[in-house]
Amino acid sequence: MEGPPQMPNPVLSIRSLNVTFVGSGADIPAVRGIDLDVHENEVLGIVGESGSGKSVTALAAAGLLPRTARITGSVLLGGRQVVGATADDLRRMRGQDVGVVFQDPSTTLNPLMPVGDQVTEGEVAHGRLARADAGVRAVDLLREVDIADPDNRARQYPHEFSGGMRQRAVIAMAMAGRPRLIVADEPTTALDVTVQAQVLALLARRQAETGAAVVLITHDLGVVAEVAHRVAVMYGGRIVETGSVRDIFARPRHPYTAALLRSAPRIDVTAGRLDPIPGQPPTPTDLPAGCTFHPRCPLHAGRTRCTTEDPALRPMGPGQAAACHFAEEMGARDPLSPGPSPRGEGRPVAAASLPPPGGRDSERGSPPPLLVVDDLKVHFPIRAGLLRRVVRTVRAVDGVSLSLAPGETLGLVGESGCGKTTTGRAIMGLIRSTGGRILFDGKPVHGLSRKGLRPVRRAMQYVFQDPFSSLNPMLSVGDAIAEPLRIHGLYDAAGGATWIATLLDMVGLSPSVAHRMPREFSGGQKQRIGIARALALKPRLLILDEPVSALDVSIQAQIVNLLQDLQKDLGLAYLFIAHDLSVVKHISDRVAVMYLGRIVEEGPKADLYGRPVHPYTQALLSAVPAVDVDPAAKRRRIVLEGEIPNPSAPPPGCHFHPRCFRADGRCGVEVPAFRPYGDGATRTACHHAGPLTVPLTPAPETLGASP
Amino acid sequence: MIGFVTWRLAQLVPVLLVASALIFFMMYAVPGGPVAALVGENATQEQIAAVTEQFGLNRPVAVQYVDWLLRALTGDLGQSLHSREPVLKLIGERLPATLQLAAVATLIGLLVGVPLALASALSQGSWLDRALSGWSALALGVPTFWVGILLILLFAVELKLLPAASAYVPVWQDPWQMIRNAILPAGTLGLYVSGIFARFLRGSLITEFNADYVRTARSKGLKEGTVVARHVLRNAMLPFVTIVGIMLAGFIGGAVVTEAVFTYPGLGRLVIQAIGSRDYPLVQGCILVILAIYILINLLVDVLYVYIDPRIDYG
Ligand SMILES: Nc1ncnc2c1ncn2[C@@H]1O[C@H](COP(=O)(O)OP(=O)(O)OP(=O)(O)O)[C@@H](O)[C@H]1O
Ligand code: SF4
Ligand code: SF4
Ligand SMILES: [Mg+2]
Repeated sequence: MEGPPQMPNPVLSIRSLNVTFVGSGADIPAVRGIDLDVHENEVLGIVGESGSGKSVTALAAAGLLPRTARITGSVLLGGRQVVGATADDLRRMRGQDVGVVFQDPSTTLNPLMPVGDQVTEGEVAHGRLARADAGVRAVDLLREVDIADPDNRARQYPHEFSGGMRQRAVIAMAMAGRPRLIVADEPTTALDVTVQAQVLALLARRQAETGAAVVLITHDLGVVAEVAHRVAVMYGGRIVETGSVRDIFARPRHPYTAALLRSAPRIDVTAGRLDPIPGQPPTPTDLPAGCTFHPRCPLHAGRTRCTTEDPALRPMGPGQAAACHFAEEMGARDPLSPGPSPRGEGRPVAAASLPPPGGRDSERGSPPPLLVVDDLKVHFPIRAGLLRRVVRTVRAVDGVSLSLAPGETLGLVGESGCGKTTTGRAIMGLIRSTGGRILFDGKPVHGLSRKGLRPVRRAMQYVFQDPFSSLNPMLSVGDAIAEPLRIHGLYDAAGGATWIATLLDMVGLSPSVAHRMPREFSGGQKQRIGIARALALKPRLLILDEPVSALDVSIQAQIVNLLQDLQKDLGLAYLFIAHDLSVVKHISDRVAVMYLGRIVEEGPKADLYGRPVHPYTQALLSAVPAVDVDPAAKRRRIVLEGEIPNPSAPPPGCHFHPRCFRADGRCGVEVPAFRPYGDGATRTACHHAGPLTVPLTPAPETLGASP
Repeated sequence: MIGFVTWRLAQLVPVLLVASALIFFMMYAVPGGPVAALVGENATQEQIAAVTEQFGLNRPVAVQYVDWLLRALTGDLGQSLHSREPVLKLIGERLPATLQLAAVATLIGLLVGVPLALASALSQGSWLDRALSGWSALALGVPTFWVGILLILLFAVELKLLPAASAYVPVWQDPWQMIRNAILPAGTLGLYVSGIFARFLRGSLITEFNADYVRTARSKGLKEGTVVARHVLRNAMLPFVTIVGIMLAGFIGGAVVTEAVFTYPGLGRLVIQAIGSRDYPLVQGCILVILAIYILINLLVDVLYVYIDPRIDYG
């Protein structure tokens, strides 16, 4: 993690870069005066919230901005000017001087072209590779990024690749021409955590082998801490702070950096409450005057200088610079200990100090559970052929057992496709279950008709992941919230408009917004509306399906706090479905880990995160990039091979055995039972369950490690 | 793949059955019925009775339908009430003419529409784009009979370059005469579809231009021409193929007005004439053949997809 010695000639040198998008509407100043340098063998992380200008900066560096962008300033790539370069010059730079890895591997490859051809296409175009040799070269390149069976894979099309393999192919493509600079824009955001670990390790290895400079854009502070040497923090189109990873994480000098670090839930620290940044990130067309951060800044304290004068980036120590008039006041306070946050969420403290509803502590007496799921199965038939015969079944959920006490939060985690959402939907009765029992409040609800489900539905509500598409754009906010009441014919009985106003107030919105339309709201606000709607019928259980994963870190913290407050006030039980292990750890009492349709481990949060006993849980936890400031504390990592198999053809025996580091002959034939482990409260499904004693594989080299 | 084609061909049977029954019963529901059509306005009761007897029209409609169906299965679609010739023979005379006209018209539509769409999409928002979009709107908006008449006036009457009435000349007989005869009607239709093609393809090109994989292709340093030809165009063609198939199929029997303007011996005109003279067996036969060809063209499009889109697998 030590930065390399400063070299005289940076690979990428940006000065006073401004990018404004001009179009039919108002001009959009996306990037407003950026300076940065990246040297050979150095990894610069760019972090910031959505819309802060990270991607635009990256595209500018690669000369890939669209024609609607007005660019001023200077971008020197290997000493050559990118701004104003001719199309031909730009074309020669791309692929040769700079390679780009984009975010979503499912759309970055051409679906109609074999992957091998796409990987070598650039080199052929630049005349460095004869067309006749392209086939062999493609196989070599795919082999270099650890794609198994590269001979056959090169001939396959992108849809035949898994997400992780596609991203490997994209990396192979970006590095094919041995560019001196690699720009990676959220390269692992669309990937599962165990696959993210593989791809980051690969990127690190290839970077070390080629000595390239890397600009890594991410919103994940853990990824930055793990992988970058230096960080630039962006806000409102500017860099507000820059410095070495260690300095920035240990001693942030800009209030935004400090607030960002505080608002993210951490897997290695147990905090009672997150510390969100109040308000919303600015929109580029409507930037606050003076310092763009002032409406959300805890340090501003009403001083006029903040609202009139835009602070410049100024040196704050060796290698560190911050753009804040009062950066000196930030001191050396540890940002990770919850510091004073003058403008918190403003929730009444009284609510937070209410005694927790019963059933929180699973070791103390057991109140009757609110929800019991016993051996739940959901199989989807796949039909094909002339007669639409069932040729296979996808065992999306294959024997899941859970229980949830009133007022308790059970986190359900797992990688994409493991069956989390299907489980939630089957419990809710949105999908018919194939087998097993679901008891709500002691009464069976599985196999009930729509009519029979109605009273249960009232007590059980679902909150969806995507706040953007889960609200009907034609309904006003008030009508959207009233919709479930009207469906059940309870609108007037519940108190009509007064109750809607109360609900809006509960989720932290002004009751006056009831007549406005969803499009006028930001993602976080829409999710608040979604929660208000779910609360309208006074349910006892909320099934929350990835409720914060579409939101920025600071907004995510606001919603998580809101959910915790509501739970305390209303005694709600939560089934919290998510893939983010840090968020789940923060909010849950107990956690269940799913793999390929089955629960592999379930237990109290402290046990599951502190002493996991199932190999998959262990690998999953070790794959999470953590905000570790101290390199000495760097954990050893288990990098799993492969990806989740197709649930229509799961491996026999223990589903995890092809990827498991403890597997033996028995694992491939005998399905391990889900049963209590030891005498604790943990249950697990593994023949060889037990705590991790010796790290099994050494940690992979970090990105940019000195050769 | 063979299974898929067989399956789709098998689907033809129920579709044609249902369609034929519908047409049959509908025709007998209209006032007048075939008898009036056969005997004319001033027929006596005796004449009517005789004709009814002769054609078996006094039997229940269902019986008549079954009778017709059984004969249709042996390839006998009956006789034209009007010319007393076999329906199949009449259709057989017109079908090649129609297919040739449809093919040439679609070809002209593609030759004009695709470059228009490309030029438009590449210069999105510019004056050229607007001018080309205006042209597409014009091609779509102006009625074909109007265009046809203008073309006749110009090329046949004024310049005397081309015949005013277009005969059907099979291309393998005399390509030059075929072109001289087909160019005006096919050009009229082709101009019209070129507007549809240009509009649709421009839309899908612009969608694809903004796709992530195009950005990837540019980031490799490919020439813009390569990006367009190898990446954008192929993907934009996917939905476009369906539209081309639909338009081509639509010309089989749907080019009535143009056929009439150019007195071209196509199927469309045959149907209209048959309807006008209440020649029910002929109407029935024509509609069934048109329907079958329509379905076959769509099947062809689906098969084509297997070759252009690797994601599609009919097993
Ligand atoms: N082609 C474009 N035309 C107009 N505005 C654009 C364009 N590309 C980006 N912007 C705007 O520029 C601003 C910065 O966008 P950018 O994509 O750099 O954000 P980001 O930091 O990468 O955010 P995210 O985390 O969501 O990817 C945003 O307000 C965005 O709407
Ligand atoms: S300049 Fe003022 S508003 Fe901006 S970050 Fe510093 S203290 Fe806060
Ligand atoms: S049962 Fe075997 S393969 Fe499955 S997790 Fe346990 S050790 Fe690994
Ligand atoms: Mg971005």
